[in-house]
Amino acid sequence: MDRREFLRQVALWSAGLSAGVPHFRIGATLAAERQPSLLTHATGKDYQELVDRVLGPLGGMGKFVRRGDKVVVKPNIGWDRNPDQAANTHPQVVRALVERALDAGAGEVLVFDRTCNEERRCYINSGMEDALVGIKDKRLKFFHPDDRKYVPVDIERGKAVRRLEIYRDALEADSYINVPVAKHHGLSRLTLGLKNSMGVLGGNRGVMHHSLGQKLADLATVIQPKLTVIDATRILLNNGPQGGNLADVRVLDTLVASTDPVAADAYATTLFGLKPEEIESTVAAYGLGLGEMELTKIRIIKA
Amino acid sequence: MKIKKRIPAYYWRRASQLACLALFFFLFIRTDYSGSDTIEYAVNVLFRIDPLLALSASVATGFFIVQMLPAVVTLLLTLILGRFFCGWVCPMGTLLDGCHKIVPSKGQGREGRYRALKFYILGFLLVGAWFGLPLAGYVDPFSILVRSLALAVDPALNALATTFFTSTYQQAPAWVNGLTEPLYAFLKATILPFNQKYYDLALLSLAILLVVFLLERLERRFFCRNICPLGAMLAVTARFSLLRGRAGTKCGTCRNCQDVCRMGAIDEERNISPLDCNLCLDCIHHCPGNKISFQFSSLQQVRPSFALSRRSFVGSLALGAALPFFLKSRTLARQSDPLLIRPPGALSEEEFVGRCVRCGECMKVCIGNGLQPAFLQGGVEGMFSPILKARTGYCEYNCTLCGQVCPTGAIKNLDVAEKKKVKIGNACFDLDLCLPYAKGIPCMVCEEHCPTPDKAIKFREVEVENSRREKVTVKQPYLVDELCVGCGICETKCPLPGASAVLVTSAGESRNPAQALPYTSRTGYP
Repeated sequence: MDRREFLRQVALWSAGLSAGVPHFRIGATLAAERQPSLLTHATGKDYQELVDRVLGPLGGMGKFVRRGDKVVVKPNIGWDRNPDQAANTHPQVVRALVERALDAGAGEVLVFDRTCNEERRCYINSGMEDALVGIKDKRLKFFHPDDRKYVPVDIERGKAVRRLEIYRDALEADSYINVPVAKHHGLSRLTLGLKNSMGVLGGNRGVMHHSLGQKLADLATVIQPKLTVIDATRILLNNGPQGGNLADVRVLDTLVASTDPVAADAYATTLFGLKPEEIESTVAAYGLGLGEMELTKIRIIKA
Repeated sequence: MKIKKRIPAYYWRRASQLACLALFFFLFIRTDYSGSDTIEYAVNVLFRIDPLLALSASVATGFFIVQMLPAVVTLLLTLILGRFFCGWVCPMGTLLDGCHKIVPSKGQGREGRYRALKFYILGFLLVGAWFGLPLAGYVDPFSILVRSLALAVDPALNALATTFFTSTYQQAPAWVNGLTEPLYAFLKATILPFNQKYYDLALLSLAILLVVFLLERLERRFFCRNICPLGAMLAVTARFSLLRGRAGTKCGTCRNCQDVCRMGAIDEERNISPLDCNLCLDCIHHCPGNKISFQFSSLQQVRPSFALSRRSFVGSLALGAALPFFLKSRTLARQSDPLLIRPPGALSEEEFVGRCVRCGECMKVCIGNGLQPAFLQGGVEGMFSPILKARTGYCEYNCTLCGQVCPTGAIKNLDVAEKKKVKIGNACFDLDLCLPYAKGIPCMVCEEHCPTPDKAIKFREVEVENSRREKVTVKQPYLVDELCVGCGICETKCPLPGASAVLVTSAGESRNPAQALPYTSRTGYP
């Protein structure tokens, strides 16, 4: 099955023309055929410029966004917390990515997250609304998810979860750019890129927590970002994922970027003094062949 | 030659009614989170100009409630103008007038059989409030109106819109969606609530409003003439008002004025009673002899009088004084319901219920959809007052809107820092349900959502046997009472179907020292 067939199923289901739940069984590229994963990281105070630096060695935004593409930039805006508290993706990082995608000629750029706290409070207090409102471009759509647009998808390659409700725009995006914030999480120790994809899920997301690592890997078989940019400009070391205490925050002024979602998570884990194999979702996704977790096999470039 | 036509007087009245109604709906819609922590204006101003609620809440608390000061202005204006408020301002009255064509009245109700009822109700409410049975919010017209709009009409309207636009989104061809989707977006940005809310007692609230409207079948403005205790209070004041309607005396058999009077205020001798007249000015327009005028004078004899039966009036007062003592014989008087969780900033229970006017604004504005109208958790006197039902929704940690919109200060207007120090309840775990305890399945959704900067829900890593008798290591949540504020997000987000494995009760609520918990920190825990 190819991507076009899958998108046809999504469209038919959304239009009520088909009772059949869309199936997703597009495989990942076999590890042997893949280029070694490339990962960049950079440190600096100017977050907009930092985005350009990490994107440079990866080929720039033009590598991921073609003219007319439907682009999803998916930050973490899950919590009613301000930027300093490190619970949400830094708004300046998101803004820079959106601007680069627009510059690259994207047909539209969608920014959204299904929040945990009240939607409007999260969008406003995360600083996201302020940061994005300045971009006067009609192609940018920053919106709250619409309940009507979650599509059930059968996850053929899933081991722990067989069906998920996924936001339609996330499925249909030509280019999906994942922009998580790196932070502590009680259950999974850290929340990084794979966990951030939960923001496109509908329904009762809490059940993901029963076997979270494997379920996140299963979700990652469907939501495959072309680019992952992990925001470690400041990281939350404790009382995550929402924090609230500045004593738990450490400023690193760092961004990590990769085309390989597993490699990005694996490297970001080391910023907390942990090893990639300590994060279940990284191990599970690696097991499904979704990316590289062995740091020695990743080409890491300091940009 | 052009003939200058005078604008009929009742046009001004209608304009005022429409303006007040529009303002009312505007304020109602604006009673919501607007992107700022503080709400600039809300429909609570309506309640603050309501002298009935001001008096009854003040009587119940034993001192005058400053927030309600604007109500005095209403009374002063009534002293001058009579019951203009009922005819020119009251949104309930306007809606009743507006539905006159839909619910036509059978008779004129000239005999005024039930006219005295509202005075008995007023007496009962005020004496009841004094002795500890504050029920004014049950029958106050604004409370009935805002409550049913907030709890029933607004959510139903949203459900209707969502259903309709979901069907067009899913079934209709693209060109239809090209029209309907922008319309939906427009409605969402203007009159529809931000998201679907769910309320207890939605149907009961609606039914009470419907009854008010259906009573129009008996006579026009039945509620205003016979039941409305606010109307009664204004009528008592209007007895001394300066502006009086004066009708003709020698006008033969014409009864136009009587026929058009929506309040039944004009008797056989064409006396216009200031107790009932709401200055709608229709009679001026319909009088063929132009014999009706409204003039300022203080010498007017009031006819007819209150027409109260002394026995009934004393009876209603006695009832108001006696009933409260029956409340003290209930089990509730000894032990309050542990699920009676009041919003943050709520006063002590007795004072809270005394002040709460059951307007439903706190529940409308609650962005977590956590506040629900109580049924009998707080006794009959507490019906429609707000309680947190944490399985439906939770108290948003950084939000203080309920205290801001409360018209009487039953919920104190706390700033964010103060609010975070208030404990409204305490969570506890049902270990037979909670997955890491009961089944050895990892979960911890409660801990993830716990909003206090130092999480009140913490966990221990424990090796347990799961249902397949395998040894697994899971994280089991536990609560630190000192840190828990009782917001209930854990109960809301607990992913179990049906009952939550976390339950919030009012234990430890800071407004009631008698509910204090034995904190571990006070028993030597580090």
